[in-house]
Amino acid sequence: MQPSQPSVEERRRGSDGTVDSSEPRFIAIGRIIRPHGVRGEVSVEVLTDFPERFDTLEVVHLGEAMHAEPWQITASRWHKDHVLLTLQGCEDRTSAQRLRGLLVQIPIEEAMGLPEDEYYPHQLIGLDVVTVEGEELGRISEILYTNANDVYVVIGPRGQILLPAIAEVIECVDLDAGQMRVRLMEGLV
Amino acid sequence: MTRSVKKGPWIDPKLLKKIQAMNASGEKRVIKTWARASTVSPEMVGHTIAVHNGRQHVPIYIQESMVNHKLGEFAPTRFFRGHIFREKGSKARKR
Repeated sequence: MQPSQPSVEERRRGSDGTVDSSEPRFIAIGRIIRPHGVRGEVSVEVLTDFPERFDTLEVVHLGEAMHAEPWQITASRWHKDHVLLTLQGCEDRTSAQRLRGLLVQIPIEEAMGLPEDEYYPHQLIGLDVVTVEGEELGRISEILYTNANDVYVVIGPRGQILLPAIAEVIECVDLDAGQMRVRLMEGLV
Repeated sequence: MTRSVKKGPWIDPKLLKKIQAMNASGEKRVIKTWARASTVSPEMVGHTIAVHNGRQHVPIYIQESMVNHKLGEFAPTRFFRGHIFREKGSKARKR
Protein backbone atom coordinates (compact mmCIF):
# COMPACT_ATOMS: atom_id res chain seq x y z
CA MET A 1 0.00 0.00 0.00
CA GLN A 2 1.38 3.39 -1.00
CA PRO A 3 1.86 6.05 1.72
CA SER A 4 -0.64 8.91 1.43
CA GLN A 5 0.56 12.10 -0.29
CA PRO A 6 1.41 14.97 2.11
CA SER A 7 -0.91 17.94 1.76
CA VAL A 8 0.37 21.28 0.46
CA GLU A 9 0.26 22.67 4.00
CA GLU A 10 2.26 19.70 5.29
CA ARG A 11 4.83 20.14 2.53
CA ARG A 12 5.22 23.79 3.46
CA ARG A 13 6.01 22.83 7.05
CA GLY A 14 9.40 21.48 7.91
CA SER A 15 10.03 18.31 9.91
CA ASP A 16 9.84 20.37 13.13
CA GLY A 17 6.41 21.73 12.19
CA THR A 18 7.55 25.30 11.55
CA VAL A 19 6.34 27.07 8.43
CA ASP A 20 9.01 27.34 5.73
CA SER A 21 10.36 30.90 5.93
CA SER A 22 10.99 30.96 2.17
CA GLU A 23 7.24 30.69 1.56
CA PRO A 24 5.97 34.07 0.26
CA ARG A 25 3.78 36.05 2.64
CA PHE A 26 3.18 38.98 0.29
CA ILE A 27 2.33 39.40 -3.35
CA ALA A 28 3.52 42.42 -5.32
CA ILE A 29 0.99 44.71 -6.96
CA GLY A 30 3.34 47.58 -7.80
CA ARG A 31 6.75 49.16 -7.46
CA ILE A 32 7.50 52.73 -6.40
CA ILE A 33 9.29 54.36 -9.30
CA ARG A 34 9.87 57.92 -8.12
CA PRO A 35 8.42 60.75 -6.02
CA HIS A 36 5.78 62.86 -7.75
CA GLY A 37 5.59 66.54 -6.89
CA VAL A 38 6.59 68.06 -3.55
CA ARG A 39 3.74 66.85 -1.34
CA GLY A 40 4.95 63.31 -0.74
CA GLU A 41 3.10 61.51 -3.52
CA VAL A 42 4.85 58.51 -5.05
CA SER A 43 4.48 57.22 -8.60
CA VAL A 44 3.81 53.46 -8.68
CA GLU A 45 4.37 51.13 -11.61
CA VAL A 46 1.47 48.65 -11.74
CA LEU A 47 2.50 44.98 -11.51
CA THR A 48 -0.95 43.44 -11.05
CA ASP A 49 -3.51 42.07 -13.48
CA PHE A 50 -6.12 43.93 -11.39
CA PRO A 51 -5.13 47.64 -11.46
CA GLU A 52 -8.61 48.65 -10.27
CA ARG A 53 -7.69 47.40 -6.78
CA PHE A 54 -5.66 50.62 -6.25
CA ASP A 55 -8.93 52.62 -6.18
CA THR A 56 -10.14 50.86 -3.02
CA LEU A 57 -6.87 49.95 -1.33
CA GLU A 58 -6.41 51.23 2.26
CA VAL A 59 -3.22 49.58 3.51
CA VAL A 60 -0.19 48.40 1.55
CA HIS A 61 3.03 46.75 2.68
CA LEU A 62 6.18 48.44 1.40
CA GLY A 63 9.50 46.65 1.32
CA GLU A 64 11.23 43.63 -0.11
CA ALA A 65 9.59 40.32 -0.97
CA MET A 66 10.07 38.78 2.50
CA HIS A 67 10.08 41.85 4.80
CA ALA A 68 7.53 44.62 4.42
CA GLU A 69 5.97 47.26 6.64
CA PRO A 70 2.34 48.39 6.55
CA TRP A 71 1.57 51.91 5.30
CA GLN A 72 -1.83 53.59 5.32
CA ILE A 73 -2.97 55.05 1.99
CA THR A 74 -4.66 58.44 2.33
CA ALA A 75 -5.29 59.07 -1.38
CA SER A 76 -4.72 57.47 -4.76
CA ARG A 77 -5.20 58.71 -8.29
CA TRP A 78 -4.17 57.71 -11.79
CA HIS A 79 -1.62 59.62 -13.83
CA LYS A 80 -1.05 58.20 -17.33
CA ASP A 81 -0.35 54.50 -16.76
CA HIS A 82 0.98 54.93 -13.21
CA VAL A 83 -0.81 55.26 -9.88
CA LEU A 84 0.02 58.17 -7.60
CA LEU A 85 -0.26 57.15 -3.93
CA THR A 86 -0.31 59.45 -0.93
CA LEU A 87 0.86 57.60 2.17
CA GLN A 88 0.30 58.56 5.78
CA GLY A 89 3.57 59.80 7.28
CA CYS A 90 5.09 60.66 3.92
CA GLU A 91 4.33 64.32 3.48
CA ASP A 92 7.26 65.77 1.55
CA ARG A 93 9.44 64.89 -1.40
CA THR A 94 12.42 63.93 0.79
CA SER A 95 10.34 61.27 2.58
CA ALA A 96 8.96 60.05 -0.74
CA GLN A 97 12.48 59.83 -2.13
CA ARG A 98 13.37 57.24 0.56
CA LEU A 99 10.62 54.92 -0.72
CA ARG A 100 11.99 54.80 -4.27
CA GLY A 101 12.35 51.23 -5.59
CA LEU A 102 10.28 49.54 -2.86
CA LEU A 103 7.66 46.96 -3.78
CA VAL A 104 4.02 47.76 -3.07
CA GLN A 105 2.63 44.50 -1.67
CA ILE A 106 -0.45 43.00 -0.14
CA PRO A 107 -0.76 39.88 2.05
CA ILE A 108 -0.99 36.79 -0.11
CA GLU A 109 -4.44 35.95 1.34
CA GLU A 110 -5.82 39.17 -0.15
CA ALA A 111 -4.88 38.23 -3.73
CA MET A 112 -7.79 38.44 -6.16
CA GLY A 113 -9.55 35.25 -7.18
CA LEU A 114 -8.56 34.00 -10.61
CA PRO A 115 -10.72 32.43 -13.32
CA GLU A 116 -10.80 28.65 -13.71
CA ASP A 117 -7.54 27.12 -14.99
CA GLU A 118 -5.56 30.19 -13.99
CA TYR A 119 -3.16 30.10 -11.05
CA TYR A 120 -0.68 32.32 -9.30
CA PRO A 121 2.99 31.37 -9.77
CA HIS A 122 3.46 30.64 -6.06
CA GLN A 123 0.65 28.07 -6.32
CA LEU A 124 2.27 26.27 -9.25
CA ILE A 125 5.94 26.34 -8.28
CA GLY A 126 6.73 23.20 -6.31
CA LEU A 127 3.86 21.10 -7.70
CA ASP A 128 4.70 17.50 -8.56
CA VAL A 129 4.23 16.78 -12.25
CA VAL A 130 3.01 13.34 -13.32
CA THR A 131 1.93 12.08 -16.71
CA VAL A 132 -1.53 10.64 -17.30
CA GLU A 133 0.19 7.23 -17.47
CA GLY A 134 1.52 7.79 -13.93
CA GLU A 135 5.18 8.56 -14.66
CA GLU A 136 6.71 11.13 -12.31
CA LEU A 137 8.46 13.90 -14.22
CA GLY A 138 9.61 16.01 -11.27
CA ARG A 139 8.64 19.37 -9.80
CA ILE A 140 7.90 22.75 -11.32
CA SER A 141 10.87 24.94 -10.47
CA GLU A 142 10.18 28.01 -12.58
CA ILE A 143 7.71 29.62 -14.96
CA LEU A 144 8.99 31.21 -18.16
CA TYR A 145 6.85 34.01 -19.55
CA THR A 146 7.12 34.10 -23.33
CA ASN A 147 5.15 36.34 -25.65
CA ALA A 148 2.93 33.33 -26.37
CA ASN A 149 2.01 30.66 -23.77
CA ASP A 150 3.69 30.34 -20.37
CA VAL A 151 6.24 27.54 -20.07
CA TYR A 152 6.71 25.46 -16.91
CA VAL A 153 10.24 24.29 -16.15
CA VAL A 154 10.09 20.83 -14.59
CA ILE A 155 13.18 19.31 -12.99
CA GLY A 156 13.18 15.63 -12.18
CA PRO A 157 14.54 12.20 -13.07
CA ARG A 158 14.52 12.98 -16.80
CA GLY A 159 16.43 16.22 -16.25
CA GLN A 160 14.89 19.52 -17.25
CA ILE A 161 11.64 19.43 -19.23
CA LEU A 162 9.85 22.48 -20.62
CA LEU A 163 6.07 22.10 -20.65
CA PRO A 164 3.90 24.60 -22.52
CA ALA A 165 0.87 25.75 -20.52
CA ILE A 166 -1.68 24.68 -23.14
CA ALA A 167 -4.78 22.54 -22.97
CA GLU A 168 -3.22 19.77 -25.06
CA VAL A 169 -0.49 19.24 -22.46
CA ILE A 170 -1.90 20.27 -19.06
CA GLU A 171 -4.56 17.72 -18.17
CA CYS A 172 -5.44 19.02 -14.70
CA VAL A 173 -4.01 20.91 -11.74
CA ASP A 174 -4.83 19.60 -8.28
CA LEU A 175 -3.60 22.15 -5.76
CA ASP A 176 -4.89 20.18 -2.77
CA ALA A 177 -2.86 17.14 -3.77
CA GLY A 178 0.04 19.33 -4.91
CA GLN A 179 0.01 17.67 -8.30
CA MET A 180 -0.23 18.58 -11.98
CA ARG A 181 -1.20 15.88 -14.47
CA VAL A 182 0.15 16.31 -17.97
CA ARG A 183 -0.13 14.59 -21.31
CA LEU A 184 3.26 14.51 -23.01
CA MET A 185 3.00 15.28 -26.71
CA GLU A 186 5.30 13.40 -29.03
CA GLY A 187 8.56 15.31 -29.42
CA LEU A 188 8.17 17.30 -26.19
CA VAL A 189 10.74 15.32 -24.18
CA MET B 1 14.63 48.53 -43.86
CA THR B 2 11.64 46.22 -44.15
CA ARG B 3 11.66 43.17 -46.39
CA SER B 4 10.46 43.65 -49.95
CA VAL B 5 6.79 42.70 -50.38
CA LYS B 6 7.63 41.29 -53.80
CA LYS B 7 9.71 38.50 -52.22
CA GLY B 8 6.99 37.42 -49.82
CA PRO B 9 7.67 36.15 -46.27
CA TRP B 10 10.59 33.81 -45.59
CA ILE B 11 9.46 30.54 -44.10
CA ASP B 12 12.00 27.85 -43.28
CA PRO B 13 11.41 25.26 -46.05
CA LYS B 14 12.24 22.25 -43.84
CA LEU B 15 9.86 23.45 -41.14
CA LEU B 16 7.09 24.17 -43.64
CA LYS B 17 7.52 20.72 -45.18
CA LYS B 18 7.12 19.05 -41.77
CA ILE B 19 4.07 21.16 -40.93
CA GLN B 20 2.42 20.41 -44.28
CA ALA B 21 3.07 16.68 -43.77
CA MET B 22 1.47 16.83 -40.32
CA ASN B 23 -1.50 18.77 -41.68
CA ALA B 24 -1.98 16.13 -44.39
CA SER B 25 -1.82 13.23 -41.94
CA GLY B 26 -3.67 15.05 -39.14
CA GLU B 27 -1.06 14.14 -36.52
CA LYS B 28 0.18 16.56 -33.85
CA ARG B 29 3.68 16.49 -32.43
CA VAL B 30 6.20 19.04 -31.26
CA ILE B 31 8.73 20.09 -33.91
CA LYS B 32 12.10 21.42 -32.82
CA THR B 33 13.51 24.24 -34.88
CA TRP B 34 16.44 26.62 -34.82
CA ALA B 35 14.80 28.84 -37.47
CA ARG B 36 13.99 31.86 -35.31
CA ALA B 37 13.92 34.08 -38.38
CA SER B 38 11.19 32.02 -40.01
CA THR B 39 7.84 33.78 -40.39
CA VAL B 40 4.79 32.13 -38.81
CA SER B 41 2.55 30.96 -41.65
CA PRO B 42 -1.19 30.18 -41.40
CA GLU B 43 -0.43 26.46 -41.85
CA MET B 44 1.38 26.47 -38.48
CA VAL B 45 -1.67 27.59 -36.48
CA GLY B 46 -2.63 24.98 -33.90
CA HIS B 47 0.77 23.29 -33.87
CA THR B 48 3.36 23.44 -31.10
CA ILE B 49 6.83 24.39 -32.25
CA ALA B 50 9.86 24.23 -29.94
CA VAL B 51 11.90 27.28 -30.90
CA HIS B 52 15.57 27.37 -29.89
CA ASN B 53 16.53 30.34 -27.76
CA GLY B 54 20.27 29.71 -27.78
CA ARG B 55 20.15 27.33 -24.85
CA GLN B 56 17.01 25.25 -25.06
CA HIS B 57 13.94 24.68 -27.20
CA VAL B 58 11.00 26.68 -25.86
CA PRO B 59 7.65 25.03 -26.76
CA ILE B 60 5.34 27.61 -28.34
CA TYR B 61 1.72 26.96 -29.27
CA ILE B 62 1.00 28.84 -32.49
CA GLN B 63 -2.17 30.92 -32.51
CA GLU B 64 -3.80 32.90 -35.30
CA SER B 65 -2.63 36.22 -33.86
CA MET B 66 1.02 35.15 -34.33
CA VAL B 67 0.79 34.82 -38.13
CA ASN B 68 3.29 37.07 -39.98
CA HIS B 69 5.47 37.44 -36.89
CA LYS B 70 8.85 35.71 -36.61
CA LEU B 71 9.16 32.54 -34.49
CA GLY B 72 12.02 34.10 -32.53
CA GLU B 73 9.72 36.79 -31.15
CA PHE B 74 8.01 34.16 -28.99
CA ALA B 75 11.10 32.46 -27.56
CA PRO B 76 12.95 35.07 -25.49
CA THR B 77 16.71 34.61 -25.21
CA ARG B 78 16.80 36.20 -21.77
CA PHE B 79 14.41 35.72 -18.88
CA PHE B 80 14.11 38.01 -15.92
CA ARG B 81 14.52 35.90 -12.80
CA GLY B 82 13.29 37.96 -9.89
CA HIS B 83 12.34 36.83 -6.43
CA ILE B 84 9.02 38.64 -6.38
CA PHE B 85 5.64 37.06 -6.84
CA ARG B 86 3.37 39.37 -8.80
CA GLU B 87 -0.40 39.36 -8.67
CA LYS B 88 -0.44 37.96 -12.18
CA GLY B 89 -2.07 34.67 -13.09
CA SER B 90 -0.65 31.91 -15.27
CA LYS B 91 -3.19 30.28 -17.56
CA ALA B 92 -2.51 26.59 -17.22
CA ARG B 93 -4.78 25.49 -20.05
CA LYS B 94 -4.75 28.43 -22.47
CA ARG B 95 -6.15 27.77 -25.93
